[in-house]
Amino acid sequence: MVFSVVASGCIGGGGEEEATTIVIGVTDKVTDLDPANAYDFYTWEVLNNVMEGLVKYKPGTLEIEPALAESWEVNEDSTVWTFHLRKDLKFADGTPLTAKDVVRSIERIMTIQGDPSWLVTDFVDKVEAKDDYTVVFYLKQPTAYFLALLTTPPYFPVHPDYAPDQIQSDQTAGGAGPYKITKWVRDEELVLEANPNYYGEKPKTEKIIIKFYRDASTMRLALQNGEIDIAWRTLRPSDIDSLKKDENFNVIEVPGGFIRYICLNTQNEPTSNVKVRQALAAAVNRPEIAQKVFMGTVEPLYSLIPNGMWSHKDVFKEKYGDGNIELAKQLLTEAGYSESNPLEIQLWYTPTHYGDTEADLAQMLKEQWEKTGMIKVTIKSAEWGTYTDYARNGQMQVYLLGWYPDYLDPDDYTTPFLKSTANSWAGTGYSNPTMDDLLSQAQRLSDQNERTKLYEQVQDILAQDVPYIPLIQGKLFVVTQKNVKGVTIGPDMIFRYSLLYKE
Amino acid sequence: MARGLGRYIIIRALMIIPTILILYTLVFFFLRILPGNPVMAVVGTKNIPPEQLEHLMEMAGLDRPLYVQYFDYLRGILHGDFGVTLAFPMGKPVWDYIAQRFPATLELAIWAFTISVLLGLLTGVIGATRKGTKTDTAMRVYSIVAYTLFIPWFGMMLQYLFGIHLHWLPTSGRLDPGVNLHTVTGLYVLDSIITGNWDALVSSVRHLILPALTLGIVLSGAYTRLVRNNMVDVLSQDFIRAYYARGVADRKVMWYTLKNAFIPVVTLMGLQFAILLGGAVLTETTFSWPGMGTFLVDRIDYRDYNAIQGAVIFFAFFVGIISLIVDIVYALLDPRVKY
Repeated sequence: MVFSVVASGCIGGGGEEEATTIVIGVTDKVTDLDPANAYDFYTWEVLNNVMEGLVKYKPGTLEIEPALAESWEVNEDSTVWTFHLRKDLKFADGTPLTAKDVVRSIERIMTIQGDPSWLVTDFVDKVEAKDDYTVVFYLKQPTAYFLALLTTPPYFPVHPDYAPDQIQSDQTAGGAGPYKITKWVRDEELVLEANPNYYGEKPKTEKIIIKFYRDASTMRLALQNGEIDIAWRTLRPSDIDSLKKDENFNVIEVPGGFIRYICLNTQNEPTSNVKVRQALAAAVNRPEIAQKVFMGTVEPLYSLIPNGMWSHKDVFKEKYGDGNIELAKQLLTEAGYSESNPLEIQLWYTPTHYGDTEADLAQMLKEQWEKTGMIKVTIKSAEWGTYTDYARNGQMQVYLLGWYPDYLDPDDYTTPFLKSTANSWAGTGYSNPTMDDLLSQAQRLSDQNERTKLYEQVQDILAQDVPYIPLIQGKLFVVTQKNVKGVTIGPDMIFRYSLLYKE
Repeated sequence: MARGLGRYIIIRALMIIPTILILYTLVFFFLRILPGNPVMAVVGTKNIPPEQLEHLMEMAGLDRPLYVQYFDYLRGILHGDFGVTLAFPMGKPVWDYIAQRFPATLELAIWAFTISVLLGLLTGVIGATRKGTKTDTAMRVYSIVAYTLFIPWFGMMLQYLFGIHLHWLPTSGRLDPGVNLHTVTGLYVLDSIITGNWDALVSSVRHLILPALTLGIVLSGAYTRLVRNNMVDVLSQDFIRAYYARGVADRKVMWYTLKNAFIPVVTLMGLQFAILLGGAVLTETTFSWPGMGTFLVDRIDYRDYNAIQGAVIFFAFFVGIISLIVDIVYALLDPRVKY
């Protein structure tokens, strides 16, 4: 057989000066270069660098500032939002961008119904272009945090090349962001170059090359060997620990909104007993987990709403403390267990999806629970595709999961977990009518003080009912060569490449 | 004779079909024994309502009965259609990926293969000609150690030494960022030469050295032993003694010996090829080499049924063809072989 695979194309970009190119290594993958279906942390970061929405977070803050829209107004009950676009907006190839493109892009999301489409369809009834520069959104119900939703990729206007009714996973036409994609080889390399038609400030570095690695150790070697300028998501805790001590690199630490928690099945024995769930919550020792398993690269978390977000309250710390063996024993006794008749549970984890620290985390939890002398833990694991199937079908009893926010509002850390109509994905079977009411109310109100009060109540009930035990909140680590400056990652966790430069 | 050979080739070629069929059946069912599926692996813990899940299952064709899925894919394969990916990105022809990734694996395999044969011959000949000395023992130790090396560990040692410590060679990828290369065959070294691109030639060779050396050394151990033992055998035979008795030059005798010792080595080359591709998977993941190995491992994470099936069938087909070629070469080399 004559074997010939003939591929043609161009590998690599131009031969620019060294200083105008920055190479970033990641172990994450880009899933879909189409905002209609992209729904993961890293792909959203890439989309944020090649597209922009009507509004955006001011880099490094949670303050919303104008982006493609110069200004906007909202009616009394926050159901009708009107945006005024900048004049002379263009896509990267020079095609004009008008209100019609905004409407076309949003309607495209509604038609395709991809993974993240609910961020649009749950809220927006219809969207209209009043003229070339005015876009009006009519919402299904009052939504106080609509501007936060607008910063997410499903709301980004895309180039007319994106098919109106089809997901285009490898479409590189992009939108109107600081960069444009000039080369894309899936799982190998993504090359971004400054968009000459960008309305805003020109990126400090002309060209960004993203290199995709299969594992953290290869990426670390590439950084140490000078093959990449930045090692981004995700190095292992042990790598970060040793790179911090190495004078050749800068390790930049940013708080992250990524949370990890234990899910408890509230429908099946024995975790259907609230006292059992409370006992498990009491015996967990978070600082020990953060130090021993994650080597200080995470911080303890005592609520589902992350540290630093408004309305956050350390409810689990107040109610149970850490490693509170006495309280756990008391609760277990009340539930009818004893040392001769111990509580038997199965703790599930998935070995690769959350990194290779996961088995250690499960082991540590087992030790902490077994310290009570009244709990016997069997550890079980399943690969991701199987694991999520088990979770959705409520086939696991006690299991570890994690969450990245869709939009930055307490609602995104509570409703998907606690509202009985929205939490089927998690498989805890949790349902509490009071909770449902509080969450619906909080969604509608626009006054942040009033919403804060409601979310505090939500967290109190969470600590009482314990369908989830919050464990830790991730931090983000960017490790760079000494000459790389301008790493800017705000609470939105989006790494803005346009602010990077080399000295 | 020519007719006999032709028949032999046809029969051997036809044997590839049941092999692939059995392999496909095993892979198909093993992939589906566990609960969960590609859609679940993709959706994960995302907040997606059940109706939309059903819609996704339908799009992926996973709502159809198993036997329909089984025969549908099989029919595709017979027409050279490897199906479409079921996970990121959904619906892209698997063949596109094979076409993109396979040249990378092939390039690595060719270099590693060459290194392993050369190293194996060298160490084997040294061992045989110095039979019973300390050098012979050293070569035998080399053979055993090389054979038992764990590729990811050994690869990482080389990465540390030649990358981090000495800064001589890159530790991952196929080309330096910013190097241009117009691809013709997908084998970068060859492409660089064809297009006269010297920057790319230097860059691609530098990137190849460590992974090819890792895999080459590990695979050379088997050759060392075989070459040494065969040469020792041949050297003790009468015709060699006759050469010596007639005063034929040492170097010439060595050449005759090597030629005779080479036939079993050709067989081993054929057998090693399958191991070579297996080793390439481990080498690729260690060096982030964008070939079939990393592709397969990525797709296993997603449980992308079609991509895994396609990649495995393609591998099997390729190995089948190579072992067929080896058998033919063997038949031509050794007149004693009958069909």
